[in-house]
Amino acid sequence: MNKEHDILKWFNKELSEQEIQGLKQSENLETIEKIAHYASQLETPKVDATNALQSFKAKHPAKNVTKVININFKSWLKVAAVLTIMLATSYFLFFNNQRSFVTEMAQTKTINLPDNSEVILNAQSKLTYNKKAWTDEKTWTDHRDLELDGEAFFKVSKGQTFSVNTDAGIVRVLGTQFNVKERNNYFEVHCYEGLVSVTYKNETIKLPKGHIFRVINGTIENFEDLNTLNPSWIQQESSFNKVPLEQIIAELERQYDINIQAKGINTDQLFTGSFTHKDKNTALQSVTVPLKLSYKINGKNVTFYQYNGE
Amino acid sequence: MNSPEHKLCEDSYFNDFYLTHIQSASNFAFYKCGDKDTALDLVQDAFSKIWENCSKIDFHKAKTYLFTTVNNLFLNTVKHQKVVLKYAKAAPYLDKDNQSPEYLLEEEEFKLKLKNAIADLSDVQREVFLMNRIDGKKYREIAEILNISQKTVEKRMSGALQILRSKIENI
Repeated sequence: MNKEHDILKWFNKELSEQEIQGLKQSENLETIEKIAHYASQLETPKVDATNALQSFKAKHPAKNVTKVININFKSWLKVAAVLTIMLATSYFLFFNNQRSFVTEMAQTKTINLPDNSEVILNAQSKLTYNKKAWTDEKTWTDHRDLELDGEAFFKVSKGQTFSVNTDAGIVRVLGTQFNVKERNNYFEVHCYEGLVSVTYKNETIKLPKGHIFRVINGTIENFEDLNTLNPSWIQQESSFNKVPLEQIIAELERQYDINIQAKGINTDQLFTGSFTHKDKNTALQSVTVPLKLSYKINGKNVTFYQYNGE
Repeated sequence: MNSPEHKLCEDSYFNDFYLTHIQSASNFAFYKCGDKDTALDLVQDAFSKIWENCSKIDFHKAKTYLFTTVNNLFLNTVKHQKVVLKYAKAAPYLDKDNQSPEYLLEEEEFKLKLKNAIADLSDVQREVFLMNRIDGKKYREIAEILNISQKTVEKRMSGALQILRSKIENI
């Protein structure tokens, strides 16, 4: 209704004096005019803004104000309790020699070990070692031990046996460069330099430079890749050689902190290729396009689906 | 360096925000509950929530957040009385030159009918109507504050006018 629309415009102060006069001529808008006029004169309670703010501030102290504590018996008890907890904590911190390093989603960390070895930790991983054991003259001459949950690239300085313990297996080296990857149903060791021994389920295998030992869903593979000098993820790219799609999905989720749904898609199918860590869309396309899949993004959730049609 | 998300946590910025919007927000609360003290309580509680969550609120959307919070807090209150407003003391008549007693009486009757008819509008129609008439807000701003589309605002306004008109002309 045109007239209705004009009335709305009138109330919104969008009509000129002329247009208003014209409107009034065409219809009996006396009631509407009066409604417009008198409704504007209705009153709301006036708020004393400064007063209101003062009483608001009285109930909500400023964020950086230090409070004055009154000393009395109850307070003493609280102080005593806090002191006890602090003493206990510092005892454990002081005498606890475990050093841990953790990475979150899409984060990598470089760690220097006491023997000058270097470890680069990939996303969502954890590395732990006992500092005392490494720096105490008596113990470190025998072995250098640490625990890994996730993926890391190691540059081990020459010295005594260097052991990386994971839930799936143990990797031992002398002086070398290697990558250990331990994720869900996926255990892989890639030796880039030197010689590495991998103990998996009571069996020990020696991996020379350029060799890869891998276990996916319980299936053992042993193959060569003599061309790469270090893992691609260090260069901010994840590469895969005939790896089940579900592992790639897990790594995408890890690097971009997203949640990928792939219902109705065969996640056992093998994928060979890589994706960048620098751009989410490029990365998703690198994986979906070769597999003839498509994807939809909704905030942190991504859905993969079969691409139908030309 | 202060990231924009934390601006509301700064005293000076928050105070400014508070003083700028307190009257408008308590008008809004008043249109809903019809009681001066309840309205102020609702608004103070809303500002409390903003202060507590200051680091999580995008200051571009703070105004919308304020009104939305007032609305949500209102929905939680049990008291729900009829919202009848009063006219300002120095309210001029439509025809300023007409001094005849019949005219004055007629206008007073109209004002009374209007007041009661507004009290009979639905909550959402009333608040849109009064924000337009009393606060002088345009539909676009109302839409932004209430986080609804401008079309919805216009629909509510149109509905309010129809009801007001029919109630006044039929009595």
